[in-house]
Amino acid sequence: MDSLFLPRIARIVSVRDETPDTKTFALKLRDPGEHQRLHFRPGQFLELSVFGFGEAPFCVASSPTRPETVQTTVRRTGKLTSALHALGVGDEVGLRGPCGNCFDLEAARGKDLLFVAGGIGLPPLRSIIWNVLDERKGYGKVTILYGARTPTDLVYKDELEEWKKRSDVKFLVTVDRSEPGWEGNVGMVPILFDKTELTPDTTLAYVCGPPIMIKFVIQDLLMRGFKEESIISTLERMMQCGVGKCNHCAIGHRYVCRDGPVFNYKQIREMVE
Amino acid sequence: MKNGEDMVQDGAKTIARQDVGKWVAKLMERAEVITPVAGHGGDVMYSRVSSPDDVMFDFANTLLPPKQFVLPQTDPLVRIRRDAGGFKVEPAYDERRRVLFNVRSCDARSISFLTKMHTMDLVDDVFRKRAENVTVVSLTCNIPCPLGFCTCTDSGPFLKDGYDVQLTLLPDRILVETGSEKGVALVAQGGDLMRPAAGTDVDQRKLLEEVARGSMGKETCHFASAMRRVSTGRVEEDLWVRMSDWCVECGGCNLVCPTCYCFSVKDLRDGDGWLRCRTWDSCQYAAFTMEASGHNPRERRKDRMKRRFFHKVSAQYFQRDGMVGCVGCGRCVKVCLGTTDVPAVVGAIRKGAWNG
Repeated sequence: MDSLFLPRIARIVSVRDETPDTKTFALKLRDPGEHQRLHFRPGQFLELSVFGFGEAPFCVASSPTRPETVQTTVRRTGKLTSALHALGVGDEVGLRGPCGNCFDLEAARGKDLLFVAGGIGLPPLRSIIWNVLDERKGYGKVTILYGARTPTDLVYKDELEEWKKRSDVKFLVTVDRSEPGWEGNVGMVPILFDKTELTPDTTLAYVCGPPIMIKFVIQDLLMRGFKEESIISTLERMMQCGVGKCNHCAIGHRYVCRDGPVFNYKQIREMVE
Repeated sequence: MKNGEDMVQDGAKTIARQDVGKWVAKLMERAEVITPVAGHGGDVMYSRVSSPDDVMFDFANTLLPPKQFVLPQTDPLVRIRRDAGGFKVEPAYDERRRVLFNVRSCDARSISFLTKMHTMDLVDDVFRKRAENVTVVSLTCNIPCPLGFCTCTDSGPFLKDGYDVQLTLLPDRILVETGSEKGVALVAQGGDLMRPAAGTDVDQRKLLEEVARGSMGKETCHFASAMRRVSTGRVEEDLWVRMSDWCVECGGCNLVCPTCYCFSVKDLRDGDGWLRCRTWDSCQYAAFTMEASGHNPRERRKDRMKRRFFHKVSAQYFQRDGMVGCVGCGRCVKVCLGTTDVPAVVGAIRKGAWNG
């Protein structure tokens, strides 16, 4: 058995600038055989090391239907993420995991799917979105609603264009504050609900974003008739070990890193802080 | 809890007081022997002994628990090196054979608790390898320590399980019970020094336990009724606010607690590479749950105190762990700068009243 805290060495295969402070890293394990055996699912997260700076959890942002690399999108906020941003193609990082549970794709088969993302909340949903789109026939209507602070803060800009063009996806985007050249929607994500046809009885809603956005979106969805079990989110907590030992991410007797990070709203509501 | 009956093993031995040194000398040939010693200023601290004469039996309990010998304050997890071929990582195991000698009952119980925490669900191999090489020789408490409330946590003054070897000071000799194969092996190292215990030895032990149970200090901690309230969220928010007003966020309760095991992970410089280490952390610190975005779900002190006691006393955790997260050692009572130690807070939760 591998040691619980032992990272594997991965190489950075590509780096893409998303916004001025956000980059997407495509990683591949240094050992090709190990990379082939690396199985990740949408919703899971990776413990990523920049050696000398430490380790932190980042969500899997790419789909397992594209297993050549595993990708993660990282906003620069502190020492470790700054050190990661300073790395380039060919540099080595440590990779532990994938950790945590995942979105239940089996339960989503045949259903209509509504993805609601705010800001840096799109990366975990991007993993399941591409998984669904790569196996498009298995699912019903796919609706993607995305909001960010400004047009500059939108991540995956070329992929957003692609979703916009697809006839089998309904994609809407909004920004909190407009910028010169922006001709799209302005306002918080919930304004997009009125521009789409929601079918709560047959839809699973996946919500990911900052806590305040999640709160308002869930309230709105409940008002529009979504069942608590049909609203699925990934929780964010300060995490250290990622394997249920360090207690940082505990909510009640649940551990976001082991029991989550994916929970439905019924489970979230029943948690005791 | 009913005491005495059937708790002394058939295979119990005795050893003469004057022969203990000879046994310890034999143990020292194969392992580091760590035992409470009197330090400067009169504090009793665990230390590796260099002579069997250092072993003492006359002490209440150590200032700090023996937690550091299974979960060091700074605990190396991964060795990180870099050469022309790139980064190299390997687990940092500590497989020193160690005997913790004369560990008080509560602390012996805490080590079996910590072992359970690190081996259930995903196995923490770094912890397990260290703990597997530690043998715990516990010492029953004929005279309970003044702040202990181990009868409330079922972890003393005498143990019925959870030790490798348990010693009881009888008037003229020492009763030696074994609780594991590691313990049996350790007693076997005593060879002829160990004699089969007589019926009278066992009777004396029972009597001593009864006397000890009857002479506990004034601290009590009624977990059951507090557990009902904590588990169902039936503790007034205002009570948490008022209690947490007395907490100065020093984290002392966590650091001296034999059962607290929260940690953070850091890379520390080590020669031309790094050692990835876990270090003890405290759930009472504001930064414990601070996220990268700046959002902090337990920004307020009352929420952190609530968290601490949910982990220690809730039925949810009791069901998972098989015991409350407390062994009744009383160290938090001693170190708390306010008055928010376990018995005080559990008492306030139970009564729904806080007098500061």
